[in-house]
Amino acid sequence: MTITPNDDLSLPDKLYRTRYEPDPAHPHVRVDSAKLRSARTRKLLKICPAEVYTKDPNDPQNVQASHENCLECGTCRQAASDEGVEWKHPDGGKGVKYRFG
Amino acid sequence: MIKRPPARLLPGLTFEGFGEDHGYFPATSEISEGREATRLDPMDDAVQMDVVVVGGGPAGLTAALVAARSGRQTLVVERGEYCGSKNVGGLLYSTVLRRVMPEFPADAPIERPVSKRRLVFLAETEHIALEFGAVEWSGPPFNHTHVVHRSQFDRWYSRQVEAAGANLLEGMVAEDLIYEPDGGRRRAAGVRLRGGEEFRAPVVILADGANCLVSEAARLALGLRPGRVRQEYAVGVKEILGLPRATIEDRFNLEPGEGMAVDFFGSPFRGLIGGGFLYTAKESLHLGFAARIESLTTAGLSPHEVMTAFRSHPVVRRLIQGAELLEYSAHMIPEGGYDAIGDLHGPGMMIAGDAAGLVNMSLYKEGTNLAMESGALAAETALEALAAGDASAERLAAYRRRLEEGFVMADLRKYRHVPEVLQAAPDLLALYPRKVARLLADLFTVSSRSKAQTQRDAWRAFWRGLPKLRAARDLFRARRLF
Ligand SMILES: Cc1cc2nc3c(=O)[nH]c(=O)nc-3n(C[C@H](O)[C@H](O)[C@H](O)COP(=O)(O)OP(=O)(O)OC[C@H]3O[C@@H](n4cnc5c(N)ncnc54)[C@H](O)[C@@H]3O)c2cc1C
Repeated sequence: MTITPNDDLSLPDKLYRTRYEPDPAHPHVRVDSAKLRSARTRKLLKICPAEVYTKDPNDPQNVQASHENCLECGTCRQAASDEGVEWKHPDGGKGVKYRFG
Repeated sequence: MIKRPPARLLPGLTFEGFGEDHGYFPATSEISEGREATRLDPMDDAVQMDVVVVGGGPAGLTAALVAARSGRQTLVVERGEYCGSKNVGGLLYSTVLRRVMPEFPADAPIERPVSKRRLVFLAETEHIALEFGAVEWSGPPFNHTHVVHRSQFDRWYSRQVEAAGANLLEGMVAEDLIYEPDGGRRRAAGVRLRGGEEFRAPVVILADGANCLVSEAARLALGLRPGRVRQEYAVGVKEILGLPRATIEDRFNLEPGEGMAVDFFGSPFRGLIGGGFLYTAKESLHLGFAARIESLTTAGLSPHEVMTAFRSHPVVRRLIQGAELLEYSAHMIPEGGYDAIGDLHGPGMMIAGDAAGLVNMSLYKEGTNLAMESGALAAETALEALAAGDASAERLAAYRRRLEEGFVMADLRKYRHVPEVLQAAPDLLALYPRKVARLLADLFTVSSRSKAQTQRDAWRAFWRGLPKLRAARDLFRARRLF
């Protein structure tokens, strides 16, 4: 069977195909590190479909958020509210902008 | 910080350009021509409306259509740059849409009507596929089932709603409701946008979708009761995969212009509560899956790795061969069902669509039509309330009654046990399909053995490792999924 050219796209490759209206100065996602520290789990690291949350390279206990990749699904709010995720809508017109949806 | 709406929107609020594109609503244009246009000055502290709708998806737009058509000053606030730009879906069920807009589909951006369906059970090395269709699905009204790109459909729908006289305020985030004291309690009195502008209205309809921050805050503020069980959400992940039109029609054995909807269960979903789907659009495929968030975290699986496993299955890989990824998206689906639905109205407000939890996640995966129906019923209730000059919770309870009497709650009540059945019997989506697929493969494996021997071996393998009593109980429970 022929391998399709898009078979092994990484997640960043996939996100690259999705349009965003960036708003670098106004992050709409934040992780409260104090609250995160007191949580036993790190569900944030796995559950986000856009892998917005990654381990902080300088502090493995901490999690950093790349808000510019956020698809605004809200899954993190449901899965990991106890891990200090603070999420609000990006400003009007900013953020993900689906062409197909 | 005050975000000014895109320039196009302000003239819309004075009804300039009304009727220029679409001649759909003659009855409404008579009403709106005779009506004083709303002056929207963003510096005003508050603008008075009859109905304010939060969210320009199927629920909110249908609510606005019904309200605006009867001549009420209606405003839709949508946080996306345009309606649809934040929305993800698959099929559009158009029964309600055709009721409120009989000319549908007219020039609507429909990708393909669905004339064939397929159910596919995937095991690691085997599969079972069941395809079905009906000749009448190939002609109007196309079984009311259409593949759409929601970004394009919602945008089109919003233009129709605007042409009916509603004001669209796109690119603006509704931050919270405005509350007023009401005999020792509080009532909703309008909507405050991020940036501080306020729009007041006797009735607010919240249709802010699955990730409904405004509805959540309003429920707390007004003390609305939650459902009997906690709302559960699935996350849906989807890829749009570009393929030439003719390739799609060849590959799925379709007449020109016709479409197929495929549902997948089984091994790629590794016991998760969920499954996959593939819908044929004109020149692309929608390929994705949805799984209960809690089942993903319990299994320690990431949505992306499940998506990768799904699209790498030999059966799926063959279907998407040669396709180019055009977009990757994710969106939640509320799937707690009937028992997770709480109060849907309070003084001065009602909640519709996904924000209300109105999704039927049985074998029939329906949300769009329930959203539209609830939007229409909320608007009808709002119109009565406006006419009576009474938008109290008691008056707006008529919304809940209408929902309960109609197909929305009838369907949700029928499938109220689906969430617990799937929770209690995870084998339904994994082990049993795998067993049946293997059984079929074994029964039809050609060899030099006698048929009697082949069948004996096949059945023996089938029963091996299958807890009979539990399977019997699970299958008995499974009737509730249909
Ligand atoms: C992957 C996937 C596949 C699906 N497949 C199907 C299917 O095959 N058939 C089917 O019938 N249904 C399907 N659904 C479900 C269907 O998409 C939803 O039920 C439907 O979109 C609900 O409509 P809604 O108007 O309630 O919410 P939405 O369509 O989500 O609209 C909500 C709107 O509110 C806006 N909004 C939210 N908050 C704010 C705010 N604070 N201020 C301003 N605007 C705001 C959003 O931007 C959005 O435009 C699917 C869903 C997903 C995720």
